[in-house]
Amino acid sequence: MLEIEKLNAGYGRVQVLWDVDLAVEAKQIVALVGANGAGKTTLLRAISGMIAVRSGGVKFRDRDIAGASIESIVDLGIAHVPEGRRLFSGLTVRENLVLGGWRRNNRDLSRVVALFPVLGQRLNQVASTLSGGEQQMCAIARGLMSEPSLLLIDELSLGLAPIMVDEIVGRLPEIAASGTAVLLVEQDIDTALTVSETAYVLETGRITRSGSSRELLADATIQAAYLGLESQ
Amino acid sequence: MSASPLALILEGRKRPGRELLAEWVRTRRLSNSWAAIALVVGFAAMLGVQQVIEPGTMRLLSAVFMFVALAQAWNLIGGFTGYASFGQVAFFGLGAYITAVLMNNSHLTFWLAMPAAIAGGVLFAVLIGLPLLRLRGHYFAIATLGAAEGSREVINNMTPVTGGGLGITIPTFGDQAPTPYFGKPGFYLAFLILAALSVAVSALLARSRFGYAMVAVHEDEAAAGAVGINTTSVKVIAFAVSGAIVACAGSIYAFQQIEFYPSDVFDPSFTVLMVIMVVIGGSGSILGPLVGAVGLELLSQFLRINLGSYNQLIFGAIIVVVVVFFPQGVVNFFRDAWRLRRISLLDNIRRYRL
Repeated sequence: MLEIEKLNAGYGRVQVLWDVDLAVEAKQIVALVGANGAGKTTLLRAISGMIAVRSGGVKFRDRDIAGASIESIVDLGIAHVPEGRRLFSGLTVRENLVLGGWRRNNRDLSRVVALFPVLGQRLNQVASTLSGGEQQMCAIARGLMSEPSLLLIDELSLGLAPIMVDEIVGRLPEIAASGTAVLLVEQDIDTALTVSETAYVLETGRITRSGSSRELLADATIQAAYLGLESQ
Repeated sequence: MSASPLALILEGRKRPGRELLAEWVRTRRLSNSWAAIALVVGFAAMLGVQQVIEPGTMRLLSAVFMFVALAQAWNLIGGFTGYASFGQVAFFGLGAYITAVLMNNSHLTFWLAMPAAIAGGVLFAVLIGLPLLRLRGHYFAIATLGAAEGSREVINNMTPVTGGGLGITIPTFGDQAPTPYFGKPGFYLAFLILAALSVAVSALLARSRFGYAMVAVHEDEAAAGAVGINTTSVKVIAFAVSGAIVACAGSIYAFQQIEFYPSDVFDPSFTVLMVIMVVIGGSGSILGPLVGAVGLELLSQFLRINLGSYNQLIFGAIIVVVVVFFPQGVVNFFRDAWRLRRISLLDNIRRYRL
């Protein structure tokens, strides 16, 4: 569904991504892992049109979206849940969700409330008064309001209690099964590789490893580099 | 979503008034039908008032109506969208001069000159909005202030067309007049219609899908972009609608004044008043600018009549006190007080201290 080939992108004169190849199939959960500064966020921003693509192809449902506007990419079915959540903090949960469905004029909250019931109790509450976990739920729900077929989630676990991370990550298979594939950027490699089927490892702007998440999780070098486990 | 309160009343008022009020406080806005009724009732009441007042009072209230329109216009870009413009008077002066030049030099009627002034306001808003709306905060404020000062100088120096510093006169008597002078009752009506239209336009925009987009840009422009809102076009459209209303006010004001100079219609104090009225009334709402404009203009006129030369000093002092006690605006203060069931100025200052 999403096919990225030899993507090069960056900011100003600084190139961040070098010949990145990545693919996401429909209804799949794909993890993108790597250290700080590897270019994970930049890759998501390049996919959703927030930064320009220098060269290479970004194809989504057989349409070339490299260089397309953010609006048209949202229309095609990609939603971006940005790092740090970026909720409209002075607005209520309801207003945040309605704004998520702004492009499609979607005001039907039933799907996301069924997914995160706690949001249903918080609809008239101002977003900044939510707990961190609830804010992340609200951000994901806002992304889902545009009825995307691909959801990009940046740093899901950032600043959240482990129990909240489990709670939210536990919803991802449900989201994927309902028709929205997930590309998950995550520093918590263990969580990311457990929930996903496929994973990519990004190091200093290049994809160095990719394949089945289960195999990567069992891989000794990955364990040594990211999980702090000594190889035996 | 619930049915409109009007429908509920028609079917025998199934819900008590307190519940309706509670819902309004929760959602913080009147339903569309109530808002429309309030506007029509207000308009009709002001038509009724006109029948019983002196022409001098009519002139005073005309100024109040004009400031209602100006405050609503400023609120669209400065309140809802969050781009505090300190140059909205540029549209006022532009509208005034387009009207005067067309009526004086080209002998067009007011009914052609006013739409031309509005179109000029929209065009100017798009032209300066596209570059200036890329700036934020103080930079946007300074740039718009500069644009207003600059446009006054341009008008000042286009002497062959505008009369420059010698001023311009709209012919209003005899065969020379392209449109007969309205007189005080006529301008009362013109400004009243403008005020009502500006309230209606603001309310419709605020409640529409576009209203959500303006508030999203205000809250977090990057996040607004991420949900697929074209932030540039939202900002430019809000700026242009604001400019159109201000230019229309300038157009009517020009005809009312008959004779004026660039320094009259490009006076930065118009901008300052727009900002103060919105901030004191409560920005980002429809009621706020309305309350701010009516309250401050009436107060200013009252002080001018009763206090002689000290009126500006007292007016300024009152503004300072009100801003200290109601930093979020009078309307928003009472809304909060109702929601929390508690009125405390001290709490309020603590909550919103700068």
